[in-house]
Amino acid sequence: MKPARHGKKFDVLMWTPLAAYLVMILALLSAMMARITWPAVKTAFSDDALLSAIRLSLETSFLSAFLSVSLAIPAGYALSRSRFPGLAALDTILDLPIVLPPLIIGLAVLIFFSSPFGRWLDRLNGAEGWIIYHPAGIVLVQFLIGAAIATRVVKAGFDNVDERYENVAWTLGANRWQAFAKVAAPLVWPNVAAAAVISWARIFGLFGPVLLVAGTMRGHTEIMPTTIFLEISIGRLEVALVVGAMMVAISMATLLAFKKLGGKGYLW
Amino acid sequence: MKRHGIEITGVSFSIGDFRMENMNLAVPEGEYLVLTGPNGAGKTVLTKLVCGLFSPLSGGISILGRDVTAEPPWKRRVGYVPQDTPLFPNRGVRGNIEFGLEVAGIGKKERRSDAAEIAGKLGIEGLLDRGVDGLSGGERQKVCLARALVLGPDILILDEPVSAIDEDSRSEICAFLKNEHGKTGVTTIHISHNSDETAMLADRVVRMESGKIL
Repeated sequence: MKPARHGKKFDVLMWTPLAAYLVMILALLSAMMARITWPAVKTAFSDDALLSAIRLSLETSFLSAFLSVSLAIPAGYALSRSRFPGLAALDTILDLPIVLPPLIIGLAVLIFFSSPFGRWLDRLNGAEGWIIYHPAGIVLVQFLIGAAIATRVVKAGFDNVDERYENVAWTLGANRWQAFAKVAAPLVWPNVAAAAVISWARIFGLFGPVLLVAGTMRGHTEIMPTTIFLEISIGRLEVALVVGAMMVAISMATLLAFKKLGGKGYLW
Repeated sequence: MKRHGIEITGVSFSIGDFRMENMNLAVPEGEYLVLTGPNGAGKTVLTKLVCGLFSPLSGGISILGRDVTAEPPWKRRVGYVPQDTPLFPNRGVRGNIEFGLEVAGIGKKERRSDAAEIAGKLGIEGLLDRGVDGLSGGERQKVCLARALVLGPDILILDEPVSAIDEDSRSEICAFLKNEHGKTGVTTIHISHNSDETAMLADRVVRMESGKIL
């Protein structure tokens, strides 16, 4: 059954800006795709370093998004349900990784790990270190930025879940864990899916802070955005475009999958 | 001497501009007490104190002679039907009614049977497989009641359970409450603004104003 539609001009007015924006995005993508040549595709796929960069990009971005959402669920709940002096300041600190240029986050991580405590942390696993110029460093900067975004989205979900549901659950014999797991958490599932999408999308294309903290060591800390940078710097623009096109394809597939997971009521 | 179903002794509490000081109220076991009074009198606050959703600043609360002042709501065995019938939207009618049984670890077969029995008493057995969206106000209220009563609570707290529903459902629910109370004798506090409802159900009527019992 189709709902009655009146005022088609209104719909046209609402859709026109969106259509114009989509045209702009598609024009940019088409221009990029038009420059890709078959030899460049063959060069890209015959390069082991590129394949390793794709694998590391996927591994680090999914791990970071998972860690971000894992933190966001309890953190979003705690922020949503708590009232105490200083909450506004704490909430604002959470916004900093979202607002600050990512490069500053990377710089801050580098500075922190050059302090005596940071150096000690980095060398817990041996003299070579395990964070700075290592894949763990990529995950760290991705998580620092992704967790703030994910927490913000999940908190918005808990803000919209009436606390009375949990109150009633308590009177029905559910302790706080049970009320959270059986009532509050299922109601924010669309927000959790949205948090995964938004944080992963932000993390996947992160370049500046990754470059600062992990460098661009081929086969070790090189991820797709840094591959693009490296390929451009050695004059292989077509190969860089192939990597860019792959990022578009991976992003489209992942975002569509996440959106499907979000199901009905998805907020993105 | 008959023990008290609910005993509130010297309870003080404040929230925002509202103050309740040295509140004393004893509800004998088995009594159906109707609490009346204007909006803002503190009726809902009082019931939330009994349920454990608010903690008193001082004083004590006992249920069937057991001091529950420091107990969390999930240990008090209070059947609570709040205003505006907040049914869990992520569960259907059956899921809502079975919720308390589920968290208590009751098996599926027994849950099904208990839910069907209480739904039958309230005349909502035909709704068991439905979602909660699209239920009428009266149906929602019956599901809320079923959800609280299926656990066999020690006391029952009803916060304006029939205030926002149609006349037929109101009479039906009131008749059910009277009948059920006659059978179980569960100590009940029922907040109401309606004189017919009060006359039909109350063993005793208590009026509250500005955080005090008159």
